[in-house]
Amino acid sequence: MILNSEHIAKSFGRNIVLKDISFQLEAGSITGIVGENGSGKSVLMEIIVGVRSADQGAIIRNGSIGYCPQRAVLFPHLTVQEHFIYFSIAYGIGNEQSKKRSEELLQHFNYKKYEQEKIINLSGGTQQKLNLSIALLHEPDLLILDEPYNGFDWDTYQRFWDYTNQLKDRGCAILIVTHLLSEKERLDRIYELENGILV
Amino acid sequence: MTVNKIITGLSMILRMLVRQKIVIVLLLIIPAFFLTIVEFTTSDRMLPFQLASLDDDVFINISEKGISFIFFAVASSGFLVSFLALNLIQKNNEVNRRLIICGYHPIELLISILLSLFLVIVLIAVYVGVLTNAFYTIDHLGRFVLGLVLIGFVYGSYGLAVGSLIKAELEGILMIVLLVNIDVGWLQNPLFYAEAQNQIIIKFLPAYFPSQTAIITAVTDYSAAAATVNGILYGLVFLIFSMLIFFFKMRTK
Repeated sequence: MILNSEHIAKSFGRNIVLKDISFQLEAGSITGIVGENGSGKSVLMEIIVGVRSADQGAIIRNGSIGYCPQRAVLFPHLTVQEHFIYFSIAYGIGNEQSKKRSEELLQHFNYKKYEQEKIINLSGGTQQKLNLSIALLHEPDLLILDEPYNGFDWDTYQRFWDYTNQLKDRGCAILIVTHLLSEKERLDRIYELENGILV
Repeated sequence: MTVNKIITGLSMILRMLVRQKIVIVLLLIIPAFFLTIVEFTTSDRMLPFQLASLDDDVFINISEKGISFIFFAVASSGFLVSFLALNLIQKNNEVNRRLIICGYHPIELLISILLSLFLVIVLIAVYVGVLTNAFYTIDHLGRFVLGLVLIGFVYGSYGLAVGSLIKAELEGILMIVLLVNIDVGWLQNPLFYAEAQNQIIIKFLPAYFPSQTAIITAVTDYSAAAATVNGILYGLVFLIFSMLIFFFKMRTK
């Protein structure tokens, strides 16, 4: 088991966002959490990765995490290549491995030509490709994707699923959070977040 | 904690600063603009005044133009460093947090930010010092630059504290402009201060010790050690406060 979420609850003032969330993620699986806008999906993701603390409950993680936030969270004045360097250092990846991985991701998601561009000059779709690539850079055991294909064109969307399936085959547990899930057959399990609980 | 992470952080922060045109424009233009205004608006009449940090019988004789150059050099250094410190700690908050999720320790990131700020302070102090000297010959330029480093340290730490506490950019800038304007831009001016009532209030403001240091070092042969030490202690209070807030906000839960 890669992730175990036990009775997670979270409120903001009187607004109860998450009531009692429990679920597990196994290695080599793709799990989806769907829910309407404002249902608390992103809050749950932030609790899982450690950005927020839960009021109650516990998260048990086994292995490294790759987290792709909903919005592209990047440095506007750094280039794509500098992001790969900075985040490789954060992950503790060696220089050679970092170059190999970034090259692979740039090629796979087809944005190698923007390698030396600053983020401020990139389109939303290309920023989202880098946002996702940062989460994939260190080949994590657990991949948490919050609305990962926002802004992707059809080709990139297909490439995203190709890559995700490769990761699954390598034993990575993948959690995808979205308000819109069109291809349910690609997922091993789907939860719906409704009124603060998973159904 | 690894040195590699700190050096990479420092290098990336400096690249980001240099690539922001507004930062470069502010650094070059503001001190030159302030000092040019002084050149065109102040007179050469001599103004004897006393400094709070020196003995009561010590009078300093300097022209209105001269003291205004020194005073505006202090004001522009304080304002610039404070603004850049706010920019360093407040901008990119979300992506800094992402770096921490990915493996950076908040302390490593904080050290990178502080080292960047220190380099910026030294750069501004040297530039403003040399520029001031071009308008008005400073008796002890090296010591005067150190006085500017001190105002940079105190107001830089204040900018870090404001940036750690306040999320919105506009409110942060307002907090800085208000204090710099009242404190460095008005109350610490020795021409005002010498005759001010309730001077004890002015002594508790952040620019008091750095202003005293800068003026003493620029135009007298007296020691500014006491004012310098007090200024460092004052800056440290802001610095520790801002570091604690940054650490508790950025650590993973």
